Amino acid sequence: MTLFRIAKLSVDVPGRRLLDDVTLDLPAGRMIALIGHNGSGKSTLLRTLARQIAPAAGEVRFEDRPLGQWRPRDYARRLAFLPQHPPPAEGMTVRELVALGRYPWHGAMGRFSAADEAAVAGALDECGLRDLAGRIVDTLSGGERQRAWLAMMVAQAAHALLLDEPISALDIAHQVEVLSLVRRMCHAQGRSAIIVLHDVNMAARFCDHVVALRHGRLAMQGTPADLMRPHTLAAIYGLPMQVLSDAQGRPAALPA
Amino acid sequence: MTLRRAVLPAALLALALWLAAALRLLPPGDWPALPFRAETMALPQVMLAFGLMPRGVIALVAGAALGLSGALIQAVLRNPVADPTTLGISSGAQLALVAATILAPELLAGGRWPVALAGAAGAAALVMAVGARRGFAPVTMVIAGMLVGLTASAVATALTLAQGEYLLSLVIWNGGSLVQQDWSGVRALALVLAAGGAGAALIAKPLRVLSLGAPGAAGLGLNVGLVRLAAMALAVALAAAVSAELGLIGFVGLAAPALARTLGARRMEDVLWSAPLIGALILSVVDGLVLAVAGAGGEMFPAGALTGLIGGPLLLWLLPRLRGSTPPGSEAPEGPAPRLARPGRVLAAMAVAVAAAALLLAWIGRVPGGWAVLDWQSLRDFLPLRLPRLAAAAAAGALLAIAGAVMQRLTANPLASPEVLGVSGGAALGYAAAVFAWGTPAPAITLACTAAGGAGALLAVAVFAARRDMPPERVLLAGIAVSSLAGAVLSALMASGDARAWAILGWLSGSSGQVTPAGAAALAALALAIWIAALAARRWLALMPLGAGVSQGVGLRLGPARLVLIVLAGVGTAAATVLVGPLSFVGLMAPHMARRMGLARPGDHVTGAALTGAGLMLAADFGARMAGFPYELPLGLFATLLGAPWLLFLLMRTTR
Repeated sequence: MTLFRIAKLSVDVPGRRLLDDVTLDLPAGRMIALIGHNGSGKSTLLRTLARQIAPAAGEVRFEDRPLGQWRPRDYARRLAFLPQHPPPAEGMTVRELVALGRYPWHGAMGRFSAADEAAVAGALDECGLRDLAGRIVDTLSGGERQRAWLAMMVAQAAHALLLDEPISALDIAHQVEVLSLVRRMCHAQGRSAIIVLHDVNMAARFCDHVVALRHGRLAMQGTPADLMRPHTLAAIYGLPMQVLSDAQGRPAALPA
Repeated sequence: MTLRRAVLPAALLALALWLAAALRLLPPGDWPALPFRAETMALPQVMLAFGLMPRGVIALVAGAALGLSGALIQAVLRNPVADPTTLGISSGAQLALVAATILAPELLAGGRWPVALAGAAGAAALVMAVGARRGFAPVTMVIAGMLVGLTASAVATALTLAQGEYLLSLVIWNGGSLVQQDWSGVRALALVLAAGGAGAALIAKPLRVLSLGAPGAAGLGLNVGLVRLAAMALAVALAAAVSAELGLIGFVGLAAPALARTLGARRMEDVLWSAPLIGALILSVVDGLVLAVAGAGGEMFPAGALTGLIGGPLLLWLLPRLRGSTPPGSEAPEGPAPRLARPGRVLAAMAVAVAAAALLLAWIGRVPGGWAVLDWQSLRDFLPLRLPRLAAAAAAGALLAIAGAVMQRLTANPLASPEVLGVSGGAALGYAAAVFAWGTPAPAITLACTAAGGAGALLAVAVFAARRDMPPERVLLAGIAVSSLAGAVLSALMASGDARAWAILGWLSGSSGQVTPAGAAALAALALAIWIAALAARRWLALMPLGAGVSQGVGLRLGPARLVLIVLAGVGTAAATVLVGPLSFVGLMAPHMARRMGLARPGDHVTGAALTGAGLMLAADFGARMAGFPYELPLGLFATLLGAPWLLFLLMRTTR
């Protein structure tokens, strides 16, 4: 099944074309990595899918309906988006932040029902935050804070997750922790995730499917094995690359 | 467009405007011959030789001085929106002069310059002290400067009001009129300009090194502190001299270097010599326009009011171009606020305290010769007189505070408030429009006009803020620009000498003296309604501070939600502004205090802010009634005096 059907998509800012004629299908139920050099348009593509930016040309269909035809609330019930730098949640506890994910379900005035309560509790459990529920978000460590934001997306009960560089500010242990959590959320619960990543090796290791952009155009898409070839990587990053094998035989890419 | 090609037409235009005024006065054949001797001339000849001619020259000299002052400040702070107006320097000089005229006229015996210089230096030192704590971050500097400036103007206005009948000339001076009676002003200013120019030439090279930034310049062996001090001292002296001679002439110092850069001046030396030239031409053209429009009849119309009118839009135009010069993290708010475990108890205690304070304030008061606690009979007599004003003051405080809390959450900016975001300024314009259109308008018309003005100003800022990637500090500055625009219009109205201007001036500093019981009840009901509405929107208020990405991500329709909150804040501010006048800072202080008390959740925050605001305004009302007994001081003045020091203290707190 197809999650997103992207046809001839272009996105402009004044004086510059960020995405140029991208045509692409993104499969459902997978963990998909979006990679590319700085300024390749990967964040732009993600934010277009999240309806944060309007396309200049082309069409994007989510679950076979054009993006423009979705009502904001229905869209938020199906799809959750985490911006690149989650803002400081001034004075908020973890539980309150996670409860905000229920907004598309109860709206501005609706009652916070038992179902909402259960969804929040479930999200806290799934992300291992039960003991931290009463803590102030801003006092958490970077990895814990990122998990709190992921829990908010879980509480939203959306089946598709869009994450913009969720590990860029984390140390290596927290990177693995967050990506493992996202992988578990995908594979155990049947969700789809589209993740902008900088690190090719992390993308190859955790994701099922890779989409690479270069200068606003589609450079390649395929499995991690397709990605981890020297000439493919060289074409994406414009730099000679070599691929080695680690102790378990998994490929690891390095600049040549 | 190059510098040379722009300067020549401007110079010709200025000359043509001046010549038109001169020829209207006297045909060229009758012009007096040099040297001028007043005793041999006819009256029109005297008016030309000792009025129009020095006026034309002083426009050039003062404009050049302001342009140089602005260029120096912008160079030393590496901040393209700094100038004597935005840093509060001119307003400091103005306040010192007004205060000296009223409180200690003997200080002026030695001329106005020392007094003006002291005021200007005081304001500059205060702003620099704030800036030093924040690494001279450009936007923080300008916010601090404009707060100092607004406060100084508010106090000066209140002082003017208290001594109203004597000070019409001061009001005109405040507006920055270029009218001259002889050549003494020109001589004095020219001397200052020459000295300033020589000083600027001396420090031009060090300033160029400083444009690398303080650490880089220090690495090249520059004494950064000394250069900064010398440049600021020069700039302050130039601005103070113009202030002392002519009054407040805003934004020439901002516009001149900006235009110089737009016209292609890139190196520090180029800006330093072309900015005075452009400043001189700007002020000449502006004063020429005043001469052409006002003619002989309205000759008292001040050129400074007109430059103020261009200043606000100019600042808005410059803001998006301000980038890359801010040290990271220096414009962050202070550290995390505490959070109460049981906010309900604190809120209940606060509600009781506000109610008790209101009762107590109705009960005690000053009588000739001391203080008195009313007995039962007098309490029953006085209550209908005192209760409405107390209720109205408390309701106004609550309204401003709720509006402030809503806007701080809407913009995710702890420094946002109705006063700072230009809502109050817009409301003041609406009030002025009502007064000028209807004479003595009905309360409903006044409220409608004030609300429309406030909502309009907020809408303008919101449209500006809706542009991509506009950080909250810039939005704040846009609001301050709208405020200063409103201030310029008001001072222009004031200087027109119209009798209705006095009604506006009185209202500007605020009074709760004339509140009717019905008016107080209406205001209280509105406060209650706005409070309930804000509580109903508490989920929006929780989501908004997390930014557009998160709020849209959970399906919030950002446009309509923003509009609703803006209208909410605009109506609340406008209604309160009708009572207390446009400047009080309660809307800024109360939400901040509530947050610092540990009221974190949106509902608690709004409620706590409302109670704090009510308490603050009761205190201000009590002070206004008691301090100058038996005369009543303006309520807005007291609220400003409570609020401004707190704000500056907030800005000076180091980031943790």
